[in-house]
Amino acid sequence: MFRQLIASLAMVLAVTSAGSLAHDARQDRAATAASGLASTNYAFPLPEPGSYKLPPIKRAAGGRVLDESGRAFDLAGFFKGRVTVLAFIYTRCGDICPVASLQLSLLQDLAATKHDVANQIRLVSVSFDPEYDTPEVMAEHAANWRSKEPGAPDWQFLTAPDREAIAPILAAYDQTIGPKRDPNSPTGPLHHIFRAFLVDASGRIRNIYSLDFLDPRLVLNDIQTLLLEKHTNTNKRTAR
Amino acid sequence: MPENLQRDRAPRSRKETLYALVYGVAVAALLAVTGGVPASADETCQSPYMPKITGEEEYIYVWTLGIPGLGDGSDKVVTVDNRKGSPTFGKVIDVDSVGGRGEAHHGGFTDDRRFFWAAGLDDSKIYIFDVATNPANPKLVKTIGDFVEKSGGAAGPHGAYALPGRMMISTLSNKDRDGRAALVEYTNDGTYITTHWLPTNEKTAGAAIEKIADGYGYDARVLPRKNVMLTSSFTGLENYMRPFGEVVKDPEAMKKFGQTMVLWDFHARKPKKVFHVPGAPLEVRWAWGPQHNYAFTSTALTSKLWLVYEDTDGQWKAKEVADIGDPSKTPIPVDISLSADDKTLFVDTFMDGKTRVFDVSNPHKPKQIYEKRIGSQVNMVSQSWDGKRLYYTSSLLSKWDKTGKDNEQFLKAYTWDGKQLKARFEIDFMAEKLGRPHLMRFGSASLYGS
Repeated sequence: MFRQLIASLAMVLAVTSAGSLAHDARQDRAATAASGLASTNYAFPLPEPGSYKLPPIKRAAGGRVLDESGRAFDLAGFFKGRVTVLAFIYTRCGDICPVASLQLSLLQDLAATKHDVANQIRLVSVSFDPEYDTPEVMAEHAANWRSKEPGAPDWQFLTAPDREAIAPILAAYDQTIGPKRDPNSPTGPLHHIFRAFLVDASGRIRNIYSLDFLDPRLVLNDIQTLLLEKHTNTNKRTAR
Repeated sequence: MPENLQRDRAPRSRKETLYALVYGVAVAALLAVTGGVPASADETCQSPYMPKITGEEEYIYVWTLGIPGLGDGSDKVVTVDNRKGSPTFGKVIDVDSVGGRGEAHHGGFTDDRRFFWAAGLDDSKIYIFDVATNPANPKLVKTIGDFVEKSGGAAGPHGAYALPGRMMISTLSNKDRDGRAALVEYTNDGTYITTHWLPTNEKTAGAAIEKIADGYGYDARVLPRKNVMLTSSFTGLENYMRPFGEVVKDPEAMKKFGQTMVLWDFHARKPKKVFHVPGAPLEVRWAWGPQHNYAFTSTALTSKLWLVYEDTDGQWKAKEVADIGDPSKTPIPVDISLSADDKTLFVDTFMDGKTRVFDVSNPHKPKQIYEKRIGSQVNMVSQSWDGKRLYYTSSLLSKWDKTGKDNEQFLKAYTWDGKQLKARFEIDFMAEKLGRPHLMRFGSASLYGS
């Protein structure tokens, strides 16, 4: 209900501002959000899964993180055997992170409709604001976003024990975080560049998204491209 | 826990999150328009993935070619102070030589704008400067010296274009020194990822070809909301590292210039269509307006302004829309700069040293509204996001610049009031023993939250 409400509001805002801020991709996202499902009316045609390559970029780093119940894990452990979409966020963010989380929630909904895909992927949101985003805060945040549909893919909301623990993870993902000049900024106290990472089942980063390209269907196509690649490689090994 | 965090300790409620989301969507809408964070000033030709400067640019970074016997003779990044009221306003405040001369030319920032990549067209080296730690004092932190080897033979790295978490390097040439070019991707920390060669008649990569696919390269720029990338085409090492006077007298050499622009499926990195744009189309400038699905380029050898646009039938097309100066006099259009409101296009012509201003409110029918001679030669032009400040540099290529007294080498800063340019300051790069100034990029401490 919560997600439907915010999706509808997102659409209303997008439509009412269309005159001055029209953006076909954004409008499409809004339509996507409003329906709760993926739209078929994208601003550009999507390349077919498997029709393009996603070259390995670099190894997806691990590091000590905490899940919503406070249990410690190695971040890299979440990548094993599944295609992962990893995003760095903080819950006090008032601009980009909520939009990114909306996109991930739509991706989760979309993937839930594809049963052959849903159990092969995972979404992971990691906070870079561990002092505020405790496991309890992340649990509350997760409740706002995570689908309760039984067929939906796993979505982990992680944080770190402290700044020292998250620092090497952020460095490995080239995420520079700093305080804003105005700590009371309505958009949140931290300055950051949003990036989300597509990680293959072998733990390699295969794509990096800005908000422009964090489109649920586009990301799902990338996921399917990696799954097809995995399937092809498995067949080749079997043939040998 | 810090006190300010304790005050704000309670988890964000659903209502608060809802508010944050709505606010966020509004910001996202703005991002869609500006391409980055809300901007009030910056040059308008930057990657849309990059944050923009809030307020006036504080520093001008000038990637400068060394001249043998002048100063240290090395290529260098020159930092110019542009802070109002600063005692060193309009002066060089920092010089970072790279310890060699490799035909400094173009470059660009990473998507977080923390690093400036500066490329050498001759030695194929890429120098990565940290401009975030102290924006007034860039520091060289890494040199990529194996570009040709890693890329599989691409050479002459030209533009350095920010993509999310990575850089795309458009090249002009290859290890055989001809015009076959590529797009080469690196991580932001300088690790090679992959190479995409431009399509040729023999290797079309599935692209539709209007007349010819020559495989040449120059610029590469993305319009994210349409998932398209445009590349343009120039010439290879064998031509651009040869004296211009010799090239123009050699009919075979003159055949080796680009005559194509390629429209790509950006996400798939696949060429879709090869337009025939004769005369070496150089800089690509996408319009910024949310409904403006078009880009301009200028052709160096034929002195034409071209428009690449999505037509009402949904097809992308390319056509000539204006002459630049008198094409019969070969003024050689070089850099162009489109204002953030998509109404004004500045076009520099190297031979006559002029900048021409076109009203491009109707992109299909540009009209020249102003011209001014900047110097005996002029190449690059950069403007602030508000369009009120413009900066010009003089050098084209070490072997193509004019000689004798016409070899002026300068950075000149102007204000633009919509009708005319008025001088703010200028720096004589010969008198300062710096070299040939080429690419300019803007810096500011405000980008880094400090």
